[in-house]
Amino acid sequence: MNERKWKQLFAAVRNEAAPAPSADFEAGVLRAIRGERRPETPEMFSISAQLNLLFPRLAWAAVAIIALSVTADWGLTAAGMPGLNDGVSQISAQWFLTSNGF
Amino acid sequence: MNDDAELPERIRNGAPDDFAEVVRRHQSRVFAILHRYERDAHKVEDLAQETFVKAWRALEQFDGRAPFEHWLYRIAVRVALDHLRREKKRRNEIGLPELGEDALDWLRSDNEQNELDGRAAAEILDLALRELSPADRVVITMQEIEGCSVKEICAATGASGVAVRVRALRARAKLKRALEKLVKL
Repeated sequence: MNERKWKQLFAAVRNEAAPAPSADFEAGVLRAIRGERRPETPEMFSISAQLNLLFPRLAWAAVAIIALSVTADWGLTAAGMPGLNDGVSQISAQWFLTSNGF
Repeated sequence: MNDDAELPERIRNGAPDDFAEVVRRHQSRVFAILHRYERDAHKVEDLAQETFVKAWRALEQFDGRAPFEHWLYRIAVRVALDHLRREKKRRNEIGLPELGEDALDWLRSDNEQNELDGRAAAEILDLALRELSPADRVVITMQEIEGCSVKEICAATGASGVAVRVRALRARAKLKRALEKLVKL
Protein backbone atom coordinates (compact mmCIF):
# COMPACT_ATOMS: atom_id res chain seq x y z
CA MET A 1 0.00 0.00 0.00
CA ASN A 2 1.44 3.33 -1.02
CA GLU A 3 1.69 6.42 1.17
CA ARG A 4 -1.21 8.16 -0.57
CA LYS A 5 -3.60 5.30 0.13
CA TRP A 6 -2.28 5.04 3.68
CA LYS A 7 -3.06 8.70 4.29
CA GLN A 8 -6.45 8.44 2.59
CA LEU A 9 -7.35 5.46 4.76
CA PHE A 10 -6.52 7.19 8.03
CA ALA A 11 -8.13 10.45 6.97
CA ALA A 12 -11.36 8.60 6.21
CA VAL A 13 -11.26 6.75 9.54
CA ARG A 14 -10.74 10.02 11.41
CA ASN A 15 -13.92 11.35 9.85
CA GLU A 16 -16.06 8.44 10.95
CA ALA A 17 -18.49 9.54 13.65
CA ALA A 18 -18.50 7.66 16.93
CA PRO A 19 -21.79 6.26 18.22
CA ALA A 20 -23.68 8.62 20.52
CA PRO A 21 -24.39 7.55 24.09
CA SER A 22 -27.89 6.18 24.55
CA ALA A 23 -30.44 8.30 26.42
CA ASP A 24 -30.07 6.31 29.63
CA PHE A 25 -26.29 5.96 29.54
CA GLU A 26 -25.71 8.50 32.29
CA ALA A 27 -28.38 6.90 34.47
CA GLY A 28 -26.82 3.49 33.85
CA VAL A 29 -23.41 4.71 35.03
CA LEU A 30 -24.94 6.27 38.13
CA ARG A 31 -26.84 3.05 38.90
CA ALA A 32 -23.59 1.10 38.56
CA ILE A 33 -21.64 3.37 40.88
CA ARG A 34 -24.42 3.53 43.47
CA GLY A 35 -24.28 -0.25 43.61
CA GLU A 36 -20.79 -0.14 45.01
CA ARG A 37 -18.93 1.88 47.57
CA ARG A 38 -15.79 3.55 46.32
CA PRO A 39 -12.88 1.91 48.11
CA GLU A 40 -11.05 4.18 50.49
CA THR A 41 -7.39 4.72 49.73
CA PRO A 42 -5.47 2.58 52.20
CA GLU A 43 -3.81 4.84 54.73
CA MET A 44 -0.06 4.67 54.80
CA PHE A 45 1.22 4.16 58.34
CA SER A 46 4.71 5.21 59.22
CA ILE A 47 6.77 3.00 61.51
CA SER A 48 6.22 5.40 64.40
CA ALA A 49 2.48 5.39 63.75
CA GLN A 50 2.43 1.60 63.78
CA LEU A 51 4.47 1.57 67.02
CA ASN A 52 2.02 4.04 68.51
CA LEU A 53 -0.79 1.71 67.59
CA LEU A 54 1.06 -1.24 69.12
CA PHE A 55 2.33 0.66 72.13
CA PRO A 56 -0.51 -0.04 74.57
CA ARG A 57 -0.07 -3.76 74.04
CA LEU A 58 3.73 -3.55 74.30
CA ALA A 59 3.48 -1.40 77.41
CA TRP A 60 1.09 -3.76 79.13
CA ALA A 61 3.25 -6.75 78.19
CA ALA A 62 6.33 -5.03 79.64
CA VAL A 63 4.49 -4.09 82.87
CA ALA A 64 3.26 -7.69 83.24
CA ILE A 65 6.78 -9.13 82.81
CA ILE A 66 8.28 -6.67 85.34
CA ALA A 67 5.51 -7.40 87.87
CA LEU A 68 5.98 -11.13 87.45
CA SER A 69 9.75 -10.85 87.94
CA VAL A 70 9.45 -8.66 91.06
CA THR A 71 6.83 -10.98 92.55
CA ALA A 72 8.97 -14.04 91.86
CA ASP A 73 12.03 -12.37 93.42
CA TRP A 74 10.07 -11.29 96.46
CA GLY A 75 8.57 -14.79 96.85
CA LEU A 76 11.94 -16.54 96.53
CA THR A 77 13.58 -14.17 99.00
CA ALA A 78 10.77 -14.69 101.50
CA ALA A 79 11.16 -18.46 101.13
CA GLY A 80 14.85 -18.21 102.06
CA MET A 81 16.09 -19.08 98.60
CA PRO A 82 18.62 -16.91 96.81
CA GLY A 83 16.85 -14.00 95.12
CA LEU A 84 17.68 -12.35 91.83
CA ASN A 85 20.12 -9.92 93.48
CA ASP A 86 22.09 -12.78 94.98
CA GLY A 87 22.18 -14.57 91.65
CA VAL A 88 23.42 -11.49 89.84
CA SER A 89 26.13 -10.85 92.48
CA GLN A 90 27.29 -14.42 92.19
CA ILE A 91 27.51 -14.28 88.42
CA SER A 92 29.38 -10.98 88.56
CA ALA A 93 31.86 -12.37 91.03
CA GLN A 94 32.44 -15.50 88.98
CA TRP A 95 32.69 -14.11 85.52
CA PHE A 96 33.32 -10.40 85.49
CA LEU A 97 35.61 -9.73 88.41
CA THR A 98 39.13 -11.05 88.78
CA SER A 99 40.33 -12.81 91.93
CA ASN A 100 41.89 -9.66 93.38
CA GLY A 101 38.65 -7.79 93.16
CA PHE A 102 39.20 -5.89 89.91
CA MET B 1 -21.05 24.97 36.89
CA ASN B 2 -18.16 23.26 38.62
CA ASP B 3 -14.69 23.51 37.24
CA ASP B 4 -13.10 20.19 36.18
CA ALA B 5 -10.36 20.55 38.78
CA GLU B 6 -12.74 20.97 41.70
CA LEU B 7 -15.43 18.54 40.60
CA PRO B 8 -13.54 15.38 41.64
CA GLU B 9 -12.79 17.04 44.98
CA ARG B 10 -16.49 17.76 45.53
CA ILE B 11 -17.42 14.16 44.69
CA ARG B 12 -14.79 12.84 47.09
CA ASN B 13 -16.11 15.11 49.81
CA GLY B 14 -19.53 13.58 49.68
CA ALA B 15 -21.40 14.70 46.58
CA PRO B 16 -21.49 11.48 44.54
CA ASP B 17 -24.39 12.72 42.40
CA ASP B 18 -22.00 15.28 40.93
CA PHE B 19 -20.40 12.36 39.11
CA ALA B 20 -23.30 12.70 36.65
CA GLU B 21 -21.72 15.98 35.61
CA VAL B 22 -18.44 14.18 34.91
CA VAL B 23 -20.29 11.66 32.73
CA ARG B 24 -22.14 14.41 30.86
CA ARG B 25 -18.99 16.39 30.17
CA HIS B 26 -16.80 13.56 29.00
CA GLN B 27 -19.03 10.86 27.55
CA SER B 28 -18.70 11.99 23.90
CA ARG B 29 -14.91 11.98 24.01
CA VAL B 30 -14.80 8.65 25.86
CA PHE B 31 -17.13 7.12 23.26
CA ALA B 32 -14.95 8.52 20.45
CA ILE B 33 -11.80 7.01 21.95
CA LEU B 34 -13.38 3.61 22.53
CA HIS B 35 -14.93 3.55 19.07
CA ARG B 36 -11.40 3.49 17.65
CA TYR B 37 -10.96 0.06 19.18
CA GLU B 38 -14.44 -1.43 18.96
CA ARG B 39 -16.95 -0.94 16.16
CA ASP B 40 -20.00 -2.47 17.82
CA ALA B 41 -21.99 0.42 19.34
CA HIS B 42 -23.38 -1.71 22.19
CA LYS B 43 -19.93 -2.89 23.17
CA VAL B 44 -18.64 0.69 22.99
CA GLU B 45 -21.35 1.69 25.45
CA ASP B 46 -20.41 -1.17 27.80
CA LEU B 47 -16.76 -0.15 27.61
CA ALA B 48 -17.66 3.48 28.26
CA GLN B 49 -19.61 2.45 31.35
CA GLU B 50 -16.64 0.36 32.50
CA THR B 51 -14.41 3.42 32.01
CA PHE B 52 -16.59 5.68 34.15
CA VAL B 53 -17.04 3.06 36.87
CA LYS B 54 -13.27 2.56 37.01
CA ALA B 55 -12.79 6.31 37.21
CA TRP B 56 -15.28 6.44 40.08
CA ARG B 57 -13.43 3.69 41.94
CA ALA B 58 -10.07 5.37 41.39
CA LEU B 59 -11.18 8.92 42.09
CA GLU B 60 -9.13 9.01 45.32
CA GLN B 61 -6.01 8.53 43.22
CA PHE B 62 -6.63 11.60 41.07
CA ASP B 63 -4.15 14.11 42.43
CA GLY B 64 -4.99 17.06 40.17
CA ARG B 65 -1.46 17.40 38.78
CA ALA B 66 -2.69 16.64 35.26
CA PRO B 67 -6.03 17.76 33.82
CA PHE B 68 -8.90 15.51 34.86
CA GLU B 69 -9.79 14.73 31.23
CA HIS B 70 -6.29 13.38 30.56
CA TRP B 71 -6.59 11.14 33.59
CA LEU B 72 -10.01 9.91 32.45
CA TYR B 73 -8.88 9.31 28.86
CA ARG B 74 -5.94 7.31 30.15
CA ILE B 75 -8.44 5.03 31.91
CA ALA B 76 -10.43 4.74 28.65
CA VAL B 77 -7.30 3.67 26.74
CA ARG B 78 -6.51 1.05 29.38
CA VAL B 79 -10.09 -0.26 29.21
CA ALA B 80 -9.72 -0.46 25.42
CA LEU B 81 -6.41 -2.30 25.75
CA ASP B 82 -7.92 -4.87 28.12
CA HIS B 83 -10.83 -5.28 25.74
CA LEU B 84 -8.50 -5.88 22.78
CA ARG B 85 -6.61 -8.49 24.76
CA ARG B 86 -9.85 -10.33 25.54
CA GLU B 87 -11.03 -10.04 21.93
CA LYS B 88 -7.69 -11.16 20.50
CA LYS B 89 -8.29 -14.62 21.84
CA ARG B 90 -11.79 -14.77 20.37
CA ARG B 91 -11.55 -13.22 16.93
CA ASN B 92 -11.07 -15.04 13.65
CA GLU B 93 -8.43 -14.66 11.01
CA ILE B 94 -8.82 -11.94 8.41
CA GLY B 95 -11.51 -12.83 5.89
CA LEU B 96 -12.86 -11.00 2.89
CA PRO B 97 -16.53 -11.74 3.62
CA GLU B 98 -16.27 -9.25 6.49
CA LEU B 99 -15.47 -6.42 4.09
CA GLY B 100 -18.18 -4.53 2.22
CA GLU B 101 -18.15 -3.83 -1.51
CA ASP B 102 -16.95 -0.23 -1.09
CA ALA B 103 -14.01 -1.34 0.98
CA LEU B 104 -13.06 -4.08 -1.46
CA ASP B 105 -13.30 -1.71 -4.44
CA TRP B 106 -11.09 0.84 -2.78
CA LEU B 107 -8.50 -1.74 -1.75
CA ARG B 108 -8.21 -3.14 -5.28
CA SER B 109 -8.35 0.16 -7.08
CA ASP B 110 -5.34 2.21 -8.17
CA ASN B 111 -7.52 5.12 -9.14
CA GLU B 112 -6.58 8.16 -7.08
CA GLN B 113 -10.07 9.59 -7.49
CA ASN B 114 -11.68 6.60 -5.81
CA GLU B 115 -13.27 7.98 -2.64
CA LEU B 116 -13.32 6.09 0.63
CA ASP B 117 -15.98 6.76 3.25
CA GLY B 118 -15.37 6.51 6.96
CA ARG B 119 -17.35 3.34 7.42
CA ALA B 120 -15.47 1.42 4.69
CA ALA B 121 -12.14 2.77 5.94
CA ALA B 122 -12.95 1.63 9.46
CA GLU B 123 -13.89 -1.85 8.18
CA ILE B 124 -10.55 -2.18 6.39
CA LEU B 125 -8.52 -0.84 9.24
CA ASP B 126 -10.35 -2.95 11.81
CA LEU B 127 -9.55 -6.12 9.88
CA ALA B 128 -5.92 -5.18 9.27
CA LEU B 129 -5.38 -4.13 12.87
CA ARG B 130 -6.37 -7.60 14.05
CA GLU B 131 -2.96 -8.71 12.83
CA LEU B 132 -1.33 -6.50 15.43
CA SER B 133 -0.93 -7.12 19.13
CA PRO B 134 -3.28 -5.09 21.37
CA ALA B 135 -0.39 -2.87 22.53
CA ASP B 136 0.74 -2.21 18.93
CA ARG B 137 -2.84 -1.42 18.00
CA VAL B 138 -3.19 1.13 20.80
CA VAL B 139 0.03 2.89 19.78
CA ILE B 140 -0.81 3.06 16.06
CA THR B 141 -4.38 4.16 16.77
CA MET B 142 -3.30 6.91 19.13
CA GLN B 143 -0.57 8.11 16.78
CA GLU B 144 -2.22 7.84 13.36
CA ILE B 145 -5.90 8.37 14.14
CA GLU B 146 -6.01 10.38 17.37
CA GLY B 147 -2.93 12.36 16.38
CA CYS B 148 -1.37 11.96 19.81
CA SER B 149 2.27 12.83 20.46
CA VAL B 150 4.74 10.27 21.78
CA LYS B 151 4.56 12.01 25.16
CA GLU B 152 0.78 11.62 25.26
CA ILE B 153 1.03 7.95 24.32
CA CYS B 154 3.60 7.46 27.08
CA ALA B 155 1.26 9.08 29.58
CA ALA B 156 -1.68 6.93 28.51
CA THR B 157 0.12 3.60 28.33
CA GLY B 158 2.80 4.00 30.97
CA ALA B 159 5.51 3.01 28.46
CA SER B 160 8.79 4.89 27.96
CA GLY B 161 9.37 7.22 25.01
CA VAL B 162 11.85 4.83 23.41
CA ALA B 163 9.46 1.90 23.80
CA VAL B 164 6.63 3.87 22.21
CA ARG B 165 8.79 4.98 19.26
CA VAL B 166 10.06 1.46 18.62
CA ARG B 167 6.58 0.00 18.96
CA ALA B 168 5.11 2.63 16.63
CA LEU B 169 7.68 1.84 13.92
CA ARG B 170 7.12 -1.88 14.25
CA ALA B 171 3.33 -1.51 14.36
CA ARG B 172 3.34 0.66 11.24
CA ALA B 173 5.36 -1.93 9.33
CA LYS B 174 3.08 -4.75 10.51
CA LEU B 175 -0.02 -2.79 9.57
CA LYS B 176 1.33 -2.10 6.09
CA ARG B 177 1.96 -5.81 5.64
CA ALA B 178 -1.54 -6.63 6.86
CA LEU B 179 -3.07 -4.10 4.46
CA GLU B 180 -1.06 -5.50 1.55
CA LYS B 181 -2.28 -8.95 2.52
CA LEU B 182 -5.84 -7.65 2.27
CA VAL B 183 -5.20 -6.19 -1.17
CA LYS B 184 -3.97 -9.58 -2.41
CA LEU B 185 -6.92 -11.55 -1.02
